[in-house]
Amino acid sequence: MRECFSFDPEYINMNHGSYGSLPSPVAEAIKPYYALAEANPDLFHRFTSIDLIRNVRERMAKFIGAAHAEEVVFVPNASHGLNTILRDFTWNEGDIICSCNTSYKSISTTAQYISDIPPHPENAQFSILFPTSHTKIIQDWRAYLQSLNETRAQSARELGRRPKIVAIIDSIISVPGALLPWKEMVKICKEEDVWSVVDGAHSIGQEPDLNLAEADPDFWVTNCHKWLYAKRSCALLYVPKRNQHIIKASFPTSHAYISPEKRDVLNFVEQFEWNGTIDFVPYISASCALDFRAWLGGEHVINAYCHRIALEGGKRLAQILGTEIIDEGQDFQFTLNMVNVAVPFPPTMSSDFEIDMAFRRKLLIKKKIYPAFFYHNGKWWTRCSAQVWSQVEDFEFLGEAILEACKEIVREFGDGSEEKAIREIGKEVENLTLKI
Amino acid sequence: MTSPNSLETLTLDQVLKPNSLFQQSAPKFGHDFLKYYSFKAGFLNLNNGSFGALPKVVTEACTELTAWQEENTDYFFRIGFIPPLIGVREQLAKFVGASDVDEIVMVANTSTGMGVVLRNFLWKSGDIIIRCNTTYATVYKTIQYIHDTTPGVQISEFQLLFPTTRKAVLKGWQKHIDNVKLNAPKGSKIVAIVDSIVANPGASMPWKEMVKICKDAGIWAIVDGAHSVGQEPLDLKTSGADFFVSSAHKWLNAKRGCAFLWIPKKSRDIMLTTIPTSASYVSPGPDRPETNIVSQFQYNGTIDYTPYLSVDYAFKWREWVGGEAAIHKYCNGLAREGGKVLARVMDTNVMDPDGEFTLAMVNVVLPIAKDLSAVYDASIATALTNKLLAQNLFAVTFYHRELWWTRVSAQIWNDLSDFEILGNALVSICSEIVAEHKNANIPQNSKAQSFNSYLERPFKGAVAHDYNKGLGYPQPVTATTVVPVGYHTHLASIRP
Repeated sequence: MRECFSFDPEYINMNHGSYGSLPSPVAEAIKPYYALAEANPDLFHRFTSIDLIRNVRERMAKFIGAAHAEEVVFVPNASHGLNTILRDFTWNEGDIICSCNTSYKSISTTAQYISDIPPHPENAQFSILFPTSHTKIIQDWRAYLQSLNETRAQSARELGRRPKIVAIIDSIISVPGALLPWKEMVKICKEEDVWSVVDGAHSIGQEPDLNLAEADPDFWVTNCHKWLYAKRSCALLYVPKRNQHIIKASFPTSHAYISPEKRDVLNFVEQFEWNGTIDFVPYISASCALDFRAWLGGEHVINAYCHRIALEGGKRLAQILGTEIIDEGQDFQFTLNMVNVAVPFPPTMSSDFEIDMAFRRKLLIKKKIYPAFFYHNGKWWTRCSAQVWSQVEDFEFLGEAILEACKEIVREFGDGSEEKAIREIGKEVENLTLKI
Repeated sequence: MTSPNSLETLTLDQVLKPNSLFQQSAPKFGHDFLKYYSFKAGFLNLNNGSFGALPKVVTEACTELTAWQEENTDYFFRIGFIPPLIGVREQLAKFVGASDVDEIVMVANTSTGMGVVLRNFLWKSGDIIIRCNTTYATVYKTIQYIHDTTPGVQISEFQLLFPTTRKAVLKGWQKHIDNVKLNAPKGSKIVAIVDSIVANPGASMPWKEMVKICKDAGIWAIVDGAHSVGQEPLDLKTSGADFFVSSAHKWLNAKRGCAFLWIPKKSRDIMLTTIPTSASYVSPGPDRPETNIVSQFQYNGTIDYTPYLSVDYAFKWREWVGGEAAIHKYCNGLAREGGKVLARVMDTNVMDPDGEFTLAMVNVVLPIAKDLSAVYDASIATALTNKLLAQNLFAVTFYHRELWWTRVSAQIWNDLSDFEILGNALVSICSEIVAEHKNANIPQNSKAQSFNSYLERPFKGAVAHDYNKGLGYPQPVTATTVVPVGYHTHLASIRP
């Protein structure tokens, strides 16, 4: 399988989830489109690419189960799509924008930015702490939205109008790499009169049998250049017709923008057809990627393999490290093609970013292998992506490499017990000082 | 190339070998250069201005860059891309006369750069945005969008009507600015968009003087310099502008999807966030580092960095072909001479005979009867575009002041005979259009008083019925065919 990809032969790619990988056959398949773009730039950019992308859009809309092709447009990446949605809401005082502690960092900062500027909607955060379970998350989500509704009712009384609540839900969290019960969470949003904006960055090509018409989120975004093998950068923005009036403008604003009060017909698709000159071939590549995946055996075959390797590999890794998989207590209900295994550090280990930097030096550079590392709920974890080129042996090699790296890191940075002791002494002193 | 063995990062000179072509001496400007570009055989490209053209050597360098990216994506996206990107920003900073590398950030295109600046201002009721009738459509509409979504924000539109003189433009601009200032509510901010080179018509403006008029009046000046870099020398630190955006994939030979935004230190406070917001965004306040916006622009969502990094090789290409001065001399001279040839062949006139507004683009009136030009007709716009492409050549056509025009780009692969060919093609195309329109059933909503009033409410699907062919619905366009008059897409008629 590695023949189909253009990795450095010494590099074991265990982090497909972050940036995706372009298969060589897809790179070849899109060369004719690049040739067309240069053969006659005007013909390509005024006509050919527009029609090609229209066709690809229709194909992608079918693939994700949208009711209409006009509900799906291309955007450069998930962050761009999510920013388009969040910025197009008209924010008012009292509104609540709700993300999670596990939201992708740039989405948290987007929510932060929106609340930083007038009229300063409230920035709320739902908490998910692993280990946990789908049942617990669903329970907690309902309770959380109900509490937000109480806050909203209070604001409504004070303001004389009913504010809105917009919730950003990951379909699959990035770190840890974990499938959430997002469809149930979307249902609860509807029951609680909360807008559901789904960050599905990792979904397409990893979560089989997507059916957005059925799941019916208010908005949904996914990256085709992650698990679907499209060329960077290529993502989909899904907005069901009932919500297209919320999307006043694309970013950048298109020449096809019409002032809302003059808009007598939905022009959602038109607004996203041209937003300045870019390389349009990545959008076209999504179709070539689907062809390649069909050749590999199709979505179910690909994901069955990746899922199996993720579990087997994760178990083997946990064995070697002497630790655990994050959801082994929940029958791996959070695990699709990414598996999260605890790193064997002492419990007092620092959560500092420099630990991740140390792993980069020791693994990415020295050993040419690198899964993502992250600190969550008091522990360091590693997130491994299983792909069609992955084998359980990769996890074994990784396990040995991590063991060695951990020993070195504890030697270099200490195990944090000293710092912890100092912090506790500091707290005691503070308490004593207050008493005086 | 294999992944590195140390944290030592690579510069682009280490990643990209010098092309063997650079050992040879470059040919003279003109058709001898066509073999270094990838145009389809026989395609006459007189429209570098819209989408640029990627020289073959830069295409090859881009292939190398993509291979480097795919070899070890974690290395590339966490470590590898950063020094080369800073290197490109340093090169651009020097090239455009910025004071510091941190004044230059990369964006996908000028529409994005202008959009991110305009949307970062915290607009309040009473604020005024000054645009022109000639402001580029995406910027024009961004301003519309801001007006529509922020109650009380006003738009003040300056009418820029060609033909004119630089003196008249400056006089009119001064008057307009004075008027706006006089009537502006107290405490409001006023932001003006100044095009360094207008798109339609293709006209080099006295933009530094226009910026000075703004600054003297205490008005923000955002310069849309989309066409500037590589077409005119720039010294931004002395320009006085508050922001400047330019597309490197137009006249600087970079890969499409590459532009830069100049944010002088004085303007940094306006720029709170990139769009999309970056993971490195820090809320305004004492904890926010001064260069946070620069960090934000370094990474704000996964993209293909190849277009940005291609600037390095584009500079090498331009040096090899003869350097900036030689390129400008040839293109500007050809634009002027070519315009005269076109006017002679079509028996019309050049918009700017004194050449005050002419760099590498020239505008000439099209031979379309006055009665047909009285109102803007989208089906004529489409017909012109389609018929030119059907003849395997292209120059932009546009409507301005009740006349149809062509805007022609002069590039180092063009020579004077190209203008002769274009002229003859346009003569036959225009007479075809006049004849077809005499009896065609043009839908009423394909016409508007002016292009701008059409722009307010663009629509798709207008069809000019060719009574000879009896065309009904628009036919889809494939890669190898162009549908002759009868197929309308608003895109064809609006983009420059």
